[in-house]
Amino acid sequence: MIQVDRLTKIFGAQTAVDNLCFSIPAGQIVGFLGPNGAGKSTTLKMLAGMLEPTSGSATLCGFDIRAQPLEVKRRIGFVPESAAVFESLTGLEYLELIAALYAIPADAARKRIEQFIAFFDLSFLTLTEKLLGAYSKGMRRKVAITSALLHNPPVVFFDEPLDGLDANAAVGFKALIQTLAHEGKTILYSSHILDVVERVCHRVLIIDKGKLLLDGKPDELVAQHDAGTLERLFTQLTGGAELEQRAAAFAKTFLP
Amino acid sequence: MSSAPIAPPVSANKALRRLFLTLFLRGRSVRGLQKSRLPSSLPKKLALTLLFYALFGGIAASTGNQPTIVTALFLHTMTLLFLAMFIAASSGEILFNREEADILLSRPISPRSLLWAKIAVLLQVALWIAFSFNLVGFFTGTLGTFGSWRFIPVHAASLLLESLFTAAAVVLLYHLCLLWFGRERLDNIMTTAQVLVIVVTIAASQAAPMATVYFAKSGGDLARSWWLVLIPPAWFAGFDDALAGSGAITSFMLAGAGVVVTAILAWAAFDNLAATYTSSLQQIVESSSSSRTRPARASGDSRRWLERAVERAPLRWYLPDPMTRRGFLLCTAYLLRDRDTKLRVYPSIAPMLIIPFFMLLNLRGGGAPTGDAFPLIFGASYLALSPTLALFTLQYSQQFQACDIFRLAPITGPGFLCAGARRAVLLLIAFPTVLIFAIAAYAIRHNPTELLLLLPGVLALPLFAILPQIGGHAIPLSRPVDAAKSTSRGLMIFGFLLISLALSGLGWLAYTFHLLLPALILEAIFVFTTTTLLARHLARSPWPETD
Repeated sequence: MIQVDRLTKIFGAQTAVDNLCFSIPAGQIVGFLGPNGAGKSTTLKMLAGMLEPTSGSATLCGFDIRAQPLEVKRRIGFVPESAAVFESLTGLEYLELIAALYAIPADAARKRIEQFIAFFDLSFLTLTEKLLGAYSKGMRRKVAITSALLHNPPVVFFDEPLDGLDANAAVGFKALIQTLAHEGKTILYSSHILDVVERVCHRVLIIDKGKLLLDGKPDELVAQHDAGTLERLFTQLTGGAELEQRAAAFAKTFLP
Repeated sequence: MSSAPIAPPVSANKALRRLFLTLFLRGRSVRGLQKSRLPSSLPKKLALTLLFYALFGGIAASTGNQPTIVTALFLHTMTLLFLAMFIAASSGEILFNREEADILLSRPISPRSLLWAKIAVLLQVALWIAFSFNLVGFFTGTLGTFGSWRFIPVHAASLLLESLFTAAAVVLLYHLCLLWFGRERLDNIMTTAQVLVIVVTIAASQAAPMATVYFAKSGGDLARSWWLVLIPPAWFAGFDDALAGSGAITSFMLAGAGVVVTAILAWAAFDNLAATYTSSLQQIVESSSSSRTRPARASGDSRRWLERAVERAPLRWYLPDPMTRRGFLLCTAYLLRDRDTKLRVYPSIAPMLIIPFFMLLNLRGGGAPTGDAFPLIFGASYLALSPTLALFTLQYSQQFQACDIFRLAPITGPGFLCAGARRAVLLLIAFPTVLIFAIAAYAIRHNPTELLLLLPGVLALPLFAILPQIGGHAIPLSRPVDAAKSTSRGLMIFGFLLISLALSGLGWLAYTFHLLLPALILEAIFVFTTTTLLARHLARSPWPETD
């Protein structure tokens, strides 16, 4: 479903993504992990057609991201880290706009929106009367997730999707993506919350400084490296192993 | 669950046009607003704005009974300035919005659809403005020499052409700036362009009636000078004159230039660059993606020149207190870098800075001190009040909540911040303007003794700068932008006019009775004592209560 071949992105003198190669079959939830600045968001933006790769290639559902960007975009849903929305639209106006961009008929779009409202426990009155600028962070995230799934895409990219969601919504979201994957959707899930990734994802890709460090099933990788948990494995790989000692040393500087 | 009516299916293009018009009318960020409060306020606000343009366009009535080319030149000059002001202010936000790139770039929309939807909205609103401003002008044009009913449809067509020209020119300019200089510099360029256009518009609104009288006196002959082909409004005025006026050959040439240049610009801006529009938007995404990973930029170092300068003489003498220095640097950073602050402060003080210069232009050159030198003393007194207005405006900021950090710090009150703001405004705005005014006055009058007439205003500068801060008011960057009331600003400017009239009147009396020197000494003592006492009081004042 997703084929990435030597994908590279260079900003000035900085290589953000460095010859990244992986492939993801349909129906898989893949955790995309890495420390800040590792190149996760840049990779997702390239796959979503928001950034032009410097070199390399990628295909989604058989369409090349460079040659057929509109075909790719019709088949993906993307929830960016910013969960940006047009703040001066109401939730309903925003979702109807998104539906129009994917040529979803108005009545079908309304039905779909109502299903999402019910799922996310949103109030229809809020959606029709309140402008998005007045929504809480969590509510905006729910609208952003809805807008990514409204057109029923076969591939979905999530960049920190749980940020701002309350505990119940997060539980519901995790169940949702597992069901979506079960029904054949491919999900690339970028997050810093490693225990969630460990529980939800079939597979993880760990990158650092734009390079792929590890690719495999979370439990197998943890066992192979004798790390105990995915979190410990992650810190071992990305130079955070000595973090606890550094934190202790730094805390001592506060003592009188 | 829902009782709302189901909307008919809409095409992606139509949905995009509707989106950008809604965003334009409502603004991009309206946190906390209910939709129910929008429908009544928005059309009202829009209608009032268009009514203002229509009323302002009423001054076109003064160009009646003139040759068509003169009336049309006045109308098109003013229209172009208003359109440039609107399009320059709106284009950046509409065309190159970072958040929008996050929302729309992953959607299946072609770059052409996206760009054209935005341009359609820009043009639509530009036409509303152009037609509102020209409401009176349509009829004035029919009354002048060569005037006939044909002026109405021809002028409507030339307005359409002019709107297209302005939109294409601004879009092309911004687009090229983005491609050549990158997003960060584009922000600075756009802000500077907007401030300049606003300042030029204000200056032109003073100059255009004078120029019209000048052209009228020449019987319209000057309006056919060869150099008019270099001025875009003259092309569209030529269009009016060619088809609904004198029909002179020169007018046809001007009209031809207008049509050709507009066609080329429109093709370049709307068609040729449409293909690269996505890459321009990608640049915006790129700048946000790469900002975290890029090494420190060289410009970051260049920004620190002021920080180094305040640690050395003579700025160190001007800012002896380290806390005041910090307040000065903060306010200077906002006055020089923050787009929102620059767009609020400079256009608001522009009329105050420009009007004295126009008064100077009306002075006769050379000669001994006479009654007509009064504009010198009045101009300097009026300029001296510019820091007052600048400080009133500087108190509003989109980042007003960040000011809470000073309230949390173990500091008595906002004294240091206010002192820094006063010194920043005096150094960046008041001193240079007064200096330029003095040079201009000397260039026009060639009489160095008359420069003494500027001193009543110059001496009053520190007092005028501290007045708005009395009682815990005008703390820089401390209030939300919504709290700014434009109506009170109008009253304030009227008050400034009275104060400067009083000050310059007293100064003029002293000058007439050869008592200027003792009067200046008295003023200096009064200003020094009052300012010192007020500054000490301010330094001890606690933070005012928050709303």
